[in-house]
Amino acid sequence: MSSKRSPRRKRSPLGSPRTLLALIVGVAIVVAALLAVLSQFGGPQGGSASGKDLGELYSGIPQDGTTLGEGGAPVTIYLYEDFQCPVCGQFSRQTLPEVVDRDVRSGGVKVVSEPVNVIGPDSVPAAKAALAAGEQDRYWQYAQLLFEHQGGENSGYVTDEFLKSQAEKTPGLDVGEWGSDLKGSSVTRQLQASQAKAQLAGVQGTPTLIFSGPGGQTELVGFYDYDRISRAIAQVD
Amino acid sequence: MKGRERGPRIVLGALAAVGLLISGYLTWVHYAGVAPECVGGSGGCETVQASSYATILGVPVAALGLVGYSGLLLSAFLRGGDGAYLGLLVALVGTLFSAYLTYLELFVIHAVCEWCVASATVMVAALIGAAARIWRLGEEGRAMEQ
Repeated sequence: MSSKRSPRRKRSPLGSPRTLLALIVGVAIVVAALLAVLSQFGGPQGGSASGKDLGELYSGIPQDGTTLGEGGAPVTIYLYEDFQCPVCGQFSRQTLPEVVDRDVRSGGVKVVSEPVNVIGPDSVPAAKAALAAGEQDRYWQYAQLLFEHQGGENSGYVTDEFLKSQAEKTPGLDVGEWGSDLKGSSVTRQLQASQAKAQLAGVQGTPTLIFSGPGGQTELVGFYDYDRISRAIAQVD
Repeated sequence: MKGRERGPRIVLGALAAVGLLISGYLTWVHYAGVAPECVGGSGGCETVQASSYATILGVPVAALGLVGYSGLLLSAFLRGGDGAYLGLLVALVGTLFSAYLTYLELFVIHAVCEWCVASATVMVAALIGAAARIWRLGEEGRAMEQ
């Protein structure tokens, strides 16, 4: 027999490779689960893209149907939007919270949402669902949730279940009453009225923002950051 | 005998480089405040990036991807068991978390970001590569013991 010994593999201090593999799998599951749990803290229940909780964003601001802000605010922003429109979603998530915080809350501006359908048939039930929330003066919270969970245009994401799940997440909304209002004719009439206003105003695309105040009227179409919106407000104020 | 794991190490290094490019782009998009370019213009990437799940405790998920892919790249450079097991750990965490993120895209956010799908695919491929590397390392060990 040869006395020459084969070089032996260095053993892990953690024991056999099987033990090490089991440890790696365990650690990986724990780390991935931890990341998943932490991601929930930034989820829709915890806050919007603006970093503010839905309740916090709109708390203390009067709402009447699709109008957000004091009725006597000198400047009105008419916001023509389609809930399937990605740019409307971007505006709602990134710019609107700052407008609400800095201009609407102070009573200087009110925003009137005019939901329209420019993208496709699924925009209609989405708009009606938001208008049904508006019957309980929860339009803006619901609209924000629709934009937070917006899917691809005409991808079929606007299902009854999807709309109901957003209703369930809307703070202070009576989901049963919302369901009844959704089936009623009032929301259909409101949507038709918004469509007619859009036609009259010559709205070609969404979002269209029409700023109206003592200084006149101006219009912006598309996504704009807060600075541009602020300048438009100052222009008509 | 290091040659047996050379192939998986090269593959893992290449996958890590691709992953770094994807997560680097999405991290840049996040901090630049611009909309990511989405294939087909579906707007899904923008929706996912603008969703509240795009950050974890204020850190963009894409930046976590940068850390993960850097770890994967490091594992590809390290020879032997240390590199192989580090690669497996990173790829496994990455694959599990990517699966969770894909679930969020499909069932919670209701939008799919092609960049995220590409990253998830890279992670799954990296997991296969890391497993192959471990397997080859095991074969090498058994050959040495004989």
